[in-house]
Amino acid sequence: MAVDEVLGDSFEEKQHQAAYVFDPLDEADGANRPAKRRKVSKAPNQQGAEEPDSWLTFQPLFGGSENEQCVRLRQQLFEKSWSQIDKRIQHILRKANESTLGDVASFLQATPDRASTDKIPSAFIITGPNLASQDLLFEQFSETLQIQVDAKVVRLRSGDASNLKAALKKIIHDVTARETDDENDQELAMGKDGRKYLNYDLEALYAHFKTKPRSHIIIAFQDSEAFESGLLSDLISLFSSWLNRIPFALLFGVATSVELFQARLLKSTCQCLYGDQFDVEQSSSIIEKIFKAAIAFSDAPLRLGSSLVNSLLERQRDQVSSIPVFVSSLKYAYMCHFYANPLTVFLSDDKKDDILQEEHFEAIRCLPSFRRYVETAIEKGEIEQARSLLDDNSQLREFLHDGIEGSRRWSLDILRKLKVLTVGGVLSTDFSEIYLDAISRGIDTDRIAEFTDSVKRLQPTDLTVFLNQVLDNLDNGDPSLGLDSWANENKDSHAFFTKALSTTKALQADAETKGNSLRSKYNGQTKVLRTTVIAQKVQLSHDTATLTREDSLYTELIDDLVRHLKETLHCDSAKDLCMNEIWLFDSKAPYKDVFIPRPRGVVERALSRPHDYLNCSCCETKGDQIVPGLPPVAILYQLYLETGSLINVADLWSAYYAIVGEENEEALEEQAALVLFYRGLAEMRAMGFVKQSRKKADHVAKLAWKGL
Amino acid sequence: MNEMDSIFELPDDLLATLIESFPCRDAQIRALATLLYPRAAPCRNLIIHGTEATGKTAITTGLLEALQSATDDGPPLKYAIVKSAECVTARHLFERTVGSVVDALEWEGTASVGRCETLAALTVELTRMLKENVEQEQENNSRRFVLVFDGIDRQREAPPTLLPALARLSEIIPNLTTVFILTTPTPSLLRVSSTPQLYFPPYTKTDFIAILSRPPYAPPPLPNTTPQETVDLWTRYAAAVHDALAKPASRSLPGLSRACAALWPRFTAPVAAGTHRAREFSKLLVAARAYFQDEGVLEPGIVLSGHSRDANTNGSVFAAASTTNGSNGHAPAKKGREETKATKDLATLLPPTARLLLVAAYLASHNAPRHDQTLFSTWHTGRRRRGGGGGGATGAIRASKRTKHRKIARKLLGPSAFVLERMVAIYAATRREWDSDGGEEGVVGVGVDGDVGMAISTLASLRLLVRVGGTGGGDTMDRGGKWRVGVGWEVIRGVGRSMGVEVEEWLIE
Ligand SMILES: Nc1ncnc2c1ncn2[C@@H]1O[C@H](COP(=O)(O)OP(=O)(O)OP(=O)(O)O)[C@@H](O)[C@H]1O
Ligand SMILES: [Mg+2]
Repeated sequence: MAVDEVLGDSFEEKQHQAAYVFDPLDEADGANRPAKRRKVSKAPNQQGAEEPDSWLTFQPLFGGSENEQCVRLRQQLFEKSWSQIDKRIQHILRKANESTLGDVASFLQATPDRASTDKIPSAFIITGPNLASQDLLFEQFSETLQIQVDAKVVRLRSGDASNLKAALKKIIHDVTARETDDENDQELAMGKDGRKYLNYDLEALYAHFKTKPRSHIIIAFQDSEAFESGLLSDLISLFSSWLNRIPFALLFGVATSVELFQARLLKSTCQCLYGDQFDVEQSSSIIEKIFKAAIAFSDAPLRLGSSLVNSLLERQRDQVSSIPVFVSSLKYAYMCHFYANPLTVFLSDDKKDDILQEEHFEAIRCLPSFRRYVETAIEKGEIEQARSLLDDNSQLREFLHDGIEGSRRWSLDILRKLKVLTVGGVLSTDFSEIYLDAISRGIDTDRIAEFTDSVKRLQPTDLTVFLNQVLDNLDNGDPSLGLDSWANENKDSHAFFTKALSTTKALQADAETKGNSLRSKYNGQTKVLRTTVIAQKVQLSHDTATLTREDSLYTELIDDLVRHLKETLHCDSAKDLCMNEIWLFDSKAPYKDVFIPRPRGVVERALSRPHDYLNCSCCETKGDQIVPGLPPVAILYQLYLETGSLINVADLWSAYYAIVGEENEEALEEQAALVLFYRGLAEMRAMGFVKQSRKKADHVAKLAWKGL
Repeated sequence: MNEMDSIFELPDDLLATLIESFPCRDAQIRALATLLYPRAAPCRNLIIHGTEATGKTAITTGLLEALQSATDDGPPLKYAIVKSAECVTARHLFERTVGSVVDALEWEGTASVGRCETLAALTVELTRMLKENVEQEQENNSRRFVLVFDGIDRQREAPPTLLPALARLSEIIPNLTTVFILTTPTPSLLRVSSTPQLYFPPYTKTDFIAILSRPPYAPPPLPNTTPQETVDLWTRYAAAVHDALAKPASRSLPGLSRACAALWPRFTAPVAAGTHRAREFSKLLVAARAYFQDEGVLEPGIVLSGHSRDANTNGSVFAAASTTNGSNGHAPAKKGREETKATKDLATLLPPTARLLLVAAYLASHNAPRHDQTLFSTWHTGRRRRGGGGGGATGAIRASKRTKHRKIARKLLGPSAFVLERMVAIYAATRREWDSDGGEEGVVGVGVDGDVGMAISTLASLRLLVRVGGTGGGDTMDRGGKWRVGVGWEVIRGVGRSMGVEVEEWLIE
């Protein structure tokens, strides 16, 4: 330990030296250093094992007075709940690529002998522009293809391969998978005769391949468009030259289209390739699945509100369409909630009342939804109840417990109702939209009316399909939403729908034997209205007159059904529930700040209104007024905004000096002002606002305009 | 065995098979054999040159192999071929040369074979090995070593002294013949006339047909047809394909054989179906006329299975490639093709922000900066004046230009570079105008945030936006960098229309 300290000290010392003095006698010491370093770097790990505190990253709330157990609990809750969700998401993502993987594997299996065709089999995987999500896809490729077609897969990204040598080096290194410790070593020892090869010599790969033959050596270009086309052409022609010895195959991740990609390659290069293109699942459909598994899922501990999720979905559509970003935005929302809301401890399943503090109860009593609840209770005359909630912590604890339970019931309830509401595509919008609408507005009478109106107009055959689906939902639930069967809990509904189904079938059969087609009066009307408009009246009466007995029974049944749906489908919105603040998160701000940073905007604001950040009296200004107390760079920035694209430095200086100089009370000396001026200008340059102009001496070029 | 009498003892029986498998090259084969065969007139250096795919590599390799395995009393020569195409650097070439000489000689002292970084080291190494080799077998003085540098004119990172230095090897090392295979001999090489040169001229039409009529290229007999009829049909067909290939550049042997193979199944489909006879060449030709005019068929790029348009007629197939292409499932292939059409235009592929940025980049590349003020500023009129409608002034300018102009439309010219900040400014200006759902809130909210930066880097990584000059690390945060749009007018028009914008109106010529 003592040695370490000494070493550390000398190290520190050297850091502050202006120049490094090389002392060969020091060498023993120097040689030791790596080993010591390693030791040091290990130390924190051991500490981590002893001291779990390093794991605890959440901060105590309540102005720091929250006790540690609660902090710990919140972090645990966050980690546990997110890990469950993440598992589901990963499952979906892996599943989504499966069919593509299978297609590519069978394509490779079907490749003919390469020697006979002279062409490299290549699979073009059309991924769309979401470059970030390709990592998982290619990871899966290398796992699957290794097993299924006995291949070795090397993944190349444009960043890895800036030139031909680097690309070859990586390919050879990854195939031979031999860890050479020092990167600088140009040689790779290889082959049984101990011959040495250059580390970019494919002969080395060949030598390795002869000892460990495989059916394919697959090179995957993950973001093929980002590769320089010359480099790709070079690599491809090299591969094709080796093709008679090494069975190369290629995978290209193509963001645009094979045609555009091909247009970038040399024609002779294209002729070395033959292949097929494969599509991956559309990111929008994956997003919908993730939506169900992460946001709408029945036992998701946290409900994300509609304004947040809508902005996430919108961003997904407008900007990036990258799934990893979507997933991490969700994770961030979860984290924010558990990090900043002390009341999340109540979401824990086991009641640990002993760790609760007085502050928790105070905080609950301050919740807007709780206040609203108490106020309505008083209005309703339940003074006693309201008082006990306000005074008695244990009462409040009970109430809270019920509230959380209630919220879980509500989640389940709303999902079940939504399952009915979305059956058969009666409402044409997609699930996420309906769900988010229901979260924010509840399932109100408008929605229900819209739904029942279209149910009313169903033809008997469509109605049987509809009822079948509803029953199927009741019986089987929906695993993608984590819903189990709820037929037992809703026996009435189940019985009602079953009866309606059998009656419909019976009526249909009856009508058929009589040679009629079954319809309700709602069907008839629409028909008549559509066909003849002039004879509307006559036709209408005529129509109702011809309703058969079965028809009117059927009409009755429809009426019953509509009534039943109207009775059962209503649901409150999340915000109506008491204490929803504990389990509902709907704020966009933290997410926006973190995921959509506005660096330019922030710098501009800091420069034009430094007071916002510095919060000192000297920089307080009204509007865009320039006062001498501002930091020099802020003054320069204000002047800068008024200039054209070429700035005369001398003019700038005189303008600056006019502000800070003689005429002011706290006038600066010219020398001091000049120093500050130069420093400010240097800062502007460092921030990329100006650069030396080649057009005119003594001028600088303006690089940035405000508001961009 | 009376050839033995002649001064040049050429192994004629060997040559005969080679000449047969490479028609139209008998002169070259004989000459090459004479210049290489130890008992003929071996030379020190030899340059073989000729355009692509004229058989240089194939014939040299074939001949050397034949000669090596020729005589019973031990091979009269040994050889090594070094392909420059497989060598990434000059050093790589040197080490490969040493390596292949070691292999050819079955040299034992491999342990000593290590680095070979320079030409000098190569010379030393080769001298050591080859001299020793000669000494070992002194009794057989006629023994030679042939070192072939294939495609040496295309060697990457070659030092300027490479060729002269390699040419000196044979002066230092006895019994060594160095062969250089070049595609385009440099004028300086031609000036040194002491080195014998062997020219492989490009094939003529009759040559092509003669070559194509032989086994690796000729098809198996068609159904309902005698072999002789098939051969006759193929010959006439090959001639027709040769004439159909528009660009003489693609009239190389591989290009021609590829086109012939690609078209043959379709061309002969009527024969297989029994509607025409194999002898009715002109009728078949008329039936297949459309294909003969289709470049996509004659000169396919990357062969996509989905693109063999009527894969079902691929039934009678002889080319391995097309068989397997057809067989790996029609259904996915078909689906793939439909999808291609959809994904072909970027408009559907890119998210809205990226599309706006791409159009902004196009405008920045094709409008002169001095017009920006007129186009995008709302300062004076409150309403933007665009090139097309609205603004009378610019409209007039354009019209007058129209009448007298013989200039090339700006959009047909290459894109010019712009400063990134300018593109972002155009983006901000146009976004307010174009973003239909942005509304009033959009006017305030048009900010250039992280997402815009991300969209720019997506475009850059797809090379739709290209950084010019400077270093390779095109950092999109550096707004002072110079960029250029990477797509053409057609694409941009489509992208613009997908947002309801006629980009033409925003271009000032
Ligand atoms: N006369 C011929 N008869 C039959 N096949 C031939 C003939 N000439 C060339 N070929 C074939 O054409 C193909 C290309 O030939 P080769 O590789 O030898 O060309 P090259 O002159 O070396 O071209 P490059 O300059 O591009 O290296 C080979 O498959 C070869 O077998
Ligand atoms: Mg060649």
